[in-house]
Amino acid sequence: MCQCCAEKKDIYLPELATVMDAKAMNVTERYLRLAMDDGPFDFVPGQFVEVSVAGIGEAPITISSSPTQNGGFELVVRKVGNVTKAIHNLNKGDKLGIRGPLGDGMYPVDEAKGKNVVFICGGIGLVPQRSFVNYVLDNRDDYGEVTILQGTKEYDQRLFTDEVAAWDKRDDVQMLETIDLPDKRWKSNVGVVTKLIPMIKSELKSAVVLVCGPPVMYKFVLMSLEEHEVPHENIFLNLERKMKCGVGKCGHCQINSTYTCMDGPVFRYSDLATMPEAI
Amino acid sequence: MSKPKIAIFDFACCEGCQLQIVNLEEELLDLLGGADVVEWREAMSEKCDEYDIAIIEGSITRLEDEERLKLIRSRAKILIALGACATIGGINKLKNNFDDLDEVKKCVYGKDANKPHLATQPTKAVDEVVQVDAYVHGCPIDRKEFTYIMRCLLMGKEPEIPEYPVCVECKAKGNPCLWEYGQVCLGPIIRAGCGARCPSNGFRCFGCRGYIDNPNVDAAKDVIDKFGLNIDDLKTKMVLFGSRQEPTIHG
Amino acid sequence: MSVKKIAKKDFVEFVETLIRKERVFGVQAKGDRFDFAPLESAQDLRLDYDVTLQPPKKFFQPPAEVLMTFEVGGGYQSQYDDEPFVLLGVHPYDMVAINQMDELFSQDNYDTHYMTRRNNATIVACDVAKPSENVFASSMGTAVVKSGYDVLLTDIGDSYVCEAATEKGEKLMAAAKKAVPADDAALKSREAVWAKNKKGLNRHELKCDPAYLPKLLAKAYKHPVWEERAKTCFSCGSCNQVCPTCYCFNVQDDVNWDMKTGKRERAWDGCLLDGFTKVAGEHEFRKQRADRFRHRIYRKGMYVPEKIGGQIACVGCGRCVAACLPDIANPVAVYNRLIDDLGIG
Repeated sequence: MCQCCAEKKDIYLPELATVMDAKAMNVTERYLRLAMDDGPFDFVPGQFVEVSVAGIGEAPITISSSPTQNGGFELVVRKVGNVTKAIHNLNKGDKLGIRGPLGDGMYPVDEAKGKNVVFICGGIGLVPQRSFVNYVLDNRDDYGEVTILQGTKEYDQRLFTDEVAAWDKRDDVQMLETIDLPDKRWKSNVGVVTKLIPMIKSELKSAVVLVCGPPVMYKFVLMSLEEHEVPHENIFLNLERKMKCGVGKCGHCQINSTYTCMDGPVFRYSDLATMPEAI
Repeated sequence: MSKPKIAIFDFACCEGCQLQIVNLEEELLDLLGGADVVEWREAMSEKCDEYDIAIIEGSITRLEDEERLKLIRSRAKILIALGACATIGGINKLKNNFDDLDEVKKCVYGKDANKPHLATQPTKAVDEVVQVDAYVHGCPIDRKEFTYIMRCLLMGKEPEIPEYPVCVECKAKGNPCLWEYGQVCLGPIIRAGCGARCPSNGFRCFGCRGYIDNPNVDAAKDVIDKFGLNIDDLKTKMVLFGSRQEPTIHG
Repeated sequence: MSVKKIAKKDFVEFVETLIRKERVFGVQAKGDRFDFAPLESAQDLRLDYDVTLQPPKKFFQPPAEVLMTFEVGGGYQSQYDDEPFVLLGVHPYDMVAINQMDELFSQDNYDTHYMTRRNNATIVACDVAKPSENVFASSMGTAVVKSGYDVLLTDIGDSYVCEAATEKGEKLMAAAKKAVPADDAALKSREAVWAKNKKGLNRHELKCDPAYLPKLLAKAYKHPVWEERAKTCFSCGSCNQVCPTCYCFNVQDDVNWDMKTGKRERAWDGCLLDGFTKVAGEHEFRKQRADRFRHRIYRKGMYVPEKIGGQIACVGCGRCVAACLPDIANPVAVYNRLIDDLGIG
């Protein structure tokens, strides 16, 4: 390596982390708690890491835990490709590579202070949102009314059911859940997550609204928020793209001129006006 | 953990792809270090009915071969199609262009045409008979790609086989385009992964790796017009490996 | 820094000296075309070339390179290619492209792999002696170059004017014992070459100042040209592969036969290729050929310029024009079509 590069860090080089805890959440999702082997790990809700399994490859995963919770950080990984399949085989004590935290587009933890906060989650959209949900709940006095909407396709795909039940029990949180294709075990709301929006008790117009779900969900949620006159500046969307290098070079995650890995993955809706490919 | 057992079977083919495996030489020892080869007619005399990975070379041209292939599939955890005959039917599919297969048989085998072991059907690629887990394309296969795929499978990883055409690798090699030298090269519509072996040596792409998932027929028409050719000029080049090629299913 | 003059026969001798002591790559004939390749004899160097098949980007970002090695369950170890080399015969438009790549790979997150190669390179640029069939550098303002190189050569007939622009360049030129300070006549001849090239490298003429392109594209997103042209796009990525400013890449792991050690490699990728934006789970964000075709033109004319102070990321080398079989890739044809329809201003 040349002299000037010797002083710089290799932006592609993962550092080792250890699996502190791992368990299956359902057939496709696996929960992992990790700790870096070397040094601390500071992040803001909404940031992601590039997870390396040696020999298999690297995949971007958004952190699911809140920085307010000590003892490493948590990921929930859906089994969809080579890397995520390999992550599903990891157990307590196993090593993997981590780069990050990455992404300058984080949840508006400060901006939302004093305001009502509404989380709209579709399916595994709950996973990244959970980081900010717990951040808000751990700093409960800083925020206004808190509303969490969760839509899931099928009963068995529900995630963090204990946590969701605990949020539901709290007086200072409105927790609404719906299932699109329910079976007889489900006794509550039926349909897609947008159906829950009119049921929000707190004032929506002045709220900070955070949306995360599958690509198809955004259009419908945004239409509904439009009807409720939520200003675009107050809506934040967590966008998924093929983030390969995670550091703004490889080009795969580009939405028009924006690199999702650099300026995202959380975007303010009003900023997407110049990004026609976003939604 | 015991080593996975590999069995190699040949159907209708020239066995040239198996020869490529033999030609791995030192790397063959590496492969044997990671797996036990329990049946391989071209290289050993043992036979075995228990295996984890079945490698199928050749296309399927007889009913009894279909039955044999189905039996192999039922025994194997992973089934690999090896070489163009297995992945796309290969040159053997040329005969599917003829309506009267009895005529074809007479032309090829003469007075022996009616012998029972020559009771052939229209040629099928392996995935037209059973499910295929991994494809090693090419005529013959590329040794480097084969070993990469084997390492992936032994690691429990799905190999990344290009979805893009040969032009990508050809340009990365710095080759000039053979169309400009009067060759009807199939590079723009054929799956990469061979490292553009033929064009790099001055031969047009013959199409042995099969079509990419989404070839652009409109573009092909435009290009043959541009070079003052007609559609038959292209078709005659495509027929060698592209005869009645069903879209391949890629897992 | 110094400007010298060296007779062509003495230049050959100088190159021979270089070859004997350094790793030298230079432009050479490849069939009836030209390309950069390891230089073994000064006689093989062809500074009279029109355009190389591949741009010189491969010396800084090779088609495939090992980023790191690893051990399963163990750590990762960066791998660098850090042998110094001399690159002979880079045309101005390609030099501009390298300057842009330098900025893109060093800004925000510093890419030590690219920059190690770049910092190890001594670049000898040379003014164009013979325009290629599809060059439009004059339209893009890249027919001459003022920075980035260590030495700039200009063919003025029986000799070259050699300008050393950096200390590396001075050091290199010190081996040219027979070079003499360039006289006024030589400098005038050089000016004449520049003046000629500023107009003459223009086989496709852009109907606007390149600085206007971002504004043009700002109103062209829904124009029918994307659909029309992409209809016959093979999605073969040839335009990406031969482009001196395309730098998108893919990263893949491969293990050794021991199944314990291995390497992580990056390789050229292309935004025109099917699957470029496909995420695990199969959703593909730019599924349509037209979307991908538009993305490339926007990257060159609008998106990358936003990152590098407004410079247009098409340098007018014309390689994509030559490489595109269905003749749809020509950026000038696209931009002019948009100007015809949407006007200027």
